[in-house]
Amino acid sequence: MNVSATDCFHCGLPNPPDTNYQTAVFDNIETMCCPGCLAVTEAIVEHGLTDYYKFRTAPAAKAEDGLEEQAILEQLSIFDAAELQADFVADEGQLKSVQLTLEGITCAACGWLIERHLSKVAGISQNSVNVSTARAMVKWDPTQISLSEILKQFAAIGYTARPFSAEEHEQIFQEQHKRFIKQLGLAGLMTMQVMMLSFGFYFDWLGNIDETMAEYFHWISLVLTTPVVFYSGSTFYLGAIRALLARGVNMDLPVSIAILGTYFAGIKAVIIGDGDVYFESICMFVFFLLSSRFLEHRARYQATEIASNSMQYIPLSAHLIQANQNTEIVLAKQLKPNQTVLVKAGDTIPVDGVIIEGTSFIEESMLTGEFVPVSKAPGEKVFGGTLNQAQPLQIMVTQTLEESLVNKIARLQESAMSHKPKVAQMADQLSQYFVFAVLFISTVTFFTWTYFGNDNAFWITVSILIATCPCALGLATPSALTTAMARLQKAGVLIKRADTLERITKVNHIVFDKTGTLTTGAFSIAHTWYADETHKNLIDSIVASIEQFSEHPIARAFECSHPISVKDVKVVINQGILGEFEGALYRIGNAKFMPCAIPNHILNATVFVSKNEQIIAAYWLTDALKVHTTDVVSALADAYSLSIISGDAAKHVSEIAETLNIKEAHHGCRPEDKLSILTELQSSKKVVMMLGDGINDAPVLAQADVAVTVGNASDFTKHSTDVILLQEHLAQLPLLTALAAKTKRTIKQNFMWALGYNVLVLPFAIMGVLTPWQAALGMSLSSLIVVYNSARLLRFRQHN
Amino acid sequence: MNIIYVLIPIAIIIVAVAIVAFFWAVKNNQFEDLERQGHSILFDDDVTPSPKSEQHKRD
Repeated sequence: MNVSATDCFHCGLPNPPDTNYQTAVFDNIETMCCPGCLAVTEAIVEHGLTDYYKFRTAPAAKAEDGLEEQAILEQLSIFDAAELQADFVADEGQLKSVQLTLEGITCAACGWLIERHLSKVAGISQNSVNVSTARAMVKWDPTQISLSEILKQFAAIGYTARPFSAEEHEQIFQEQHKRFIKQLGLAGLMTMQVMMLSFGFYFDWLGNIDETMAEYFHWISLVLTTPVVFYSGSTFYLGAIRALLARGVNMDLPVSIAILGTYFAGIKAVIIGDGDVYFESICMFVFFLLSSRFLEHRARYQATEIASNSMQYIPLSAHLIQANQNTEIVLAKQLKPNQTVLVKAGDTIPVDGVIIEGTSFIEESMLTGEFVPVSKAPGEKVFGGTLNQAQPLQIMVTQTLEESLVNKIARLQESAMSHKPKVAQMADQLSQYFVFAVLFISTVTFFTWTYFGNDNAFWITVSILIATCPCALGLATPSALTTAMARLQKAGVLIKRADTLERITKVNHIVFDKTGTLTTGAFSIAHTWYADETHKNLIDSIVASIEQFSEHPIARAFECSHPISVKDVKVVINQGILGEFEGALYRIGNAKFMPCAIPNHILNATVFVSKNEQIIAAYWLTDALKVHTTDVVSALADAYSLSIISGDAAKHVSEIAETLNIKEAHHGCRPEDKLSILTELQSSKKVVMMLGDGINDAPVLAQADVAVTVGNASDFTKHSTDVILLQEHLAQLPLLTALAAKTKRTIKQNFMWALGYNVLVLPFAIMGVLTPWQAALGMSLSSLIVVYNSARLLRFRQHN
Repeated sequence: MNIIYVLIPIAIIIVAVAIVAFFWAVKNNQFEDLERQGHSILFDDDVTPSPKSEQHKRD
């Protein structure tokens, strides 16, 4: 891992010119890009952990700089609150342990770095880092060190660690996962042993095996096979019993009959010393079947892990103003109505309340999807979760966190999720008929052969059950889905639920949110008008210089490369900004702010400029489209009907819709409006894929047939989606749809092969040509072919 | 050939030990993170800071 000399030694980002953040690493002087990276590098060198730089395979994440870090460390103390810890900390006698999610892990060396660093901290008795899931487990002695101190140790070497509590179903998944590994390992080891013994029979490797030795081998095989039948195979019997209790049949039933039938017939043969023994076939059969179940389970397990990681436990904190005017950091959920809290500029408002002191701009994008902040004065309502952008505010709490608007949206999201339309499981229905057919054919065969007096009737029946074993059939779907998910993960697309890919192929309508999904949410100048074109450049730089004094997001659209000196700049909240240049008064703002009438042809501009009572320029601003948006939308337009549902004003929405050539556009929608538009689409036989990012999109995403979020979406939103695009743009969306279609084709091919093989081999089994071990071998080969076919998806490339 | 009557039970005992070890490993999360432990061998356990960097710190 080499970092070029002009880039930061720690994080690999380009160094700004004239930096002198330097320290010695491996006897060389290395340059860092910021004080944050410098502090982290120094901490690593100081603790003798420089090996990290030697063996890492990717540069580290950029460290937080001093001020940001200070603010973060202040917030950490909140994690020491006992009532908060009750949710995610486990007591283990004298010690406590916690699960943390980590941000900033880039390669395996990070895991080593963290473990080594923490092992030197007094009070931490055990810690382990899991790089692939980006999680850590820490056990500590609460009398020596506090949880917030531990989190600070992570920050010192450049990682962000936050406690989280794994979802309940993930824990169940993990237990099943471990049981599968054990069952599979046992079956694998035993299969090898039993195979070894039976190969002696197959090929006469031990010379002439006499009667006693054959009997001895059979007894040994029986001993080795027993744990496989009763431990590894238990999954199938339990599955079969569950299906029978629910008055149905599933693939587990013929499997169970074949395994137990062969096993008990084998015992009988060993005891009376006469008859066929097929213990090695049982072991191999169980092993291959379990492999397919394991693959399927792992695909689902990975998906839940990804989902859980985004559920970080971030408690909202608040600065409570006490009776003696001191402030104290408390948990937002402890706040009660009529208490007063201080919200600093740049902080999130913790709960719903009323402003009692201060005037500020509040960004309510999480509720409305609208990035333009709203100005709020004393007496006006503010909502928990919104962002205070400009001035410190004192707020009187009116609702507890439980009753706040954010939690109401969360409940809307939950109820939408539970009403999601379910796609019927085709494979399950298919297997019902298949199993009935198999059971019917084998029963008929058994009685027919018995009627004709064939001694081998039982073994022929077992051969049928094994030969038609739905092992390859069972592998057909999970193996294809797992490889497709791995392929997408490489491209930066995370699939949270395995069945999502199947649903994507059914989608015929795509709905986009505007701000933050199609566009960046930042303003840029679309076009301009000047009263006198010759002064164009001068006006531009005057406007940019004055706008520099404003915090309003619109001001950021005006790029100021060469500031000129303007005087007496004053911000008028909700209207605009004014300033003086060379004795003339300039006013920049909306139509209400202009001192004179505005010519009709520029009336629809966003920002006007006047000089001494005369309009001299107008600017039309738009929300800039993200890179690749145009290409992606035009590529999708061929196959899908598209629409936009946005919380933004009509003017902005229709502009974007026109640029992208999207016919259907809804504007000014609140979360519940979005939800009802979507349900309407669904009731008119549309299968809808929804792309969104904000918290206001969460309920509608939960309702959509397939929900996709982009990388800049809030964690809350990511929770209710099926697909997460890790990048902020939509470039991988066509790959997602193409690969979903390809995966469906692969699954079909797999089904055809598996069924074809089973049907082909059935006559041979019925005629009694096929012995059980041949049937087991053929079934294994058939499974391998299916797995190979699925693996081809890993190399999938999109055309053009 | 009679030796086989002894060898096979020994083999079974070894397999039993292997299975116990395997179950122990699964129980203790040894199969949780297959990516990272492969790199462990690259790292020295105790690296003393080189004298030069110590000096630099004192400066």
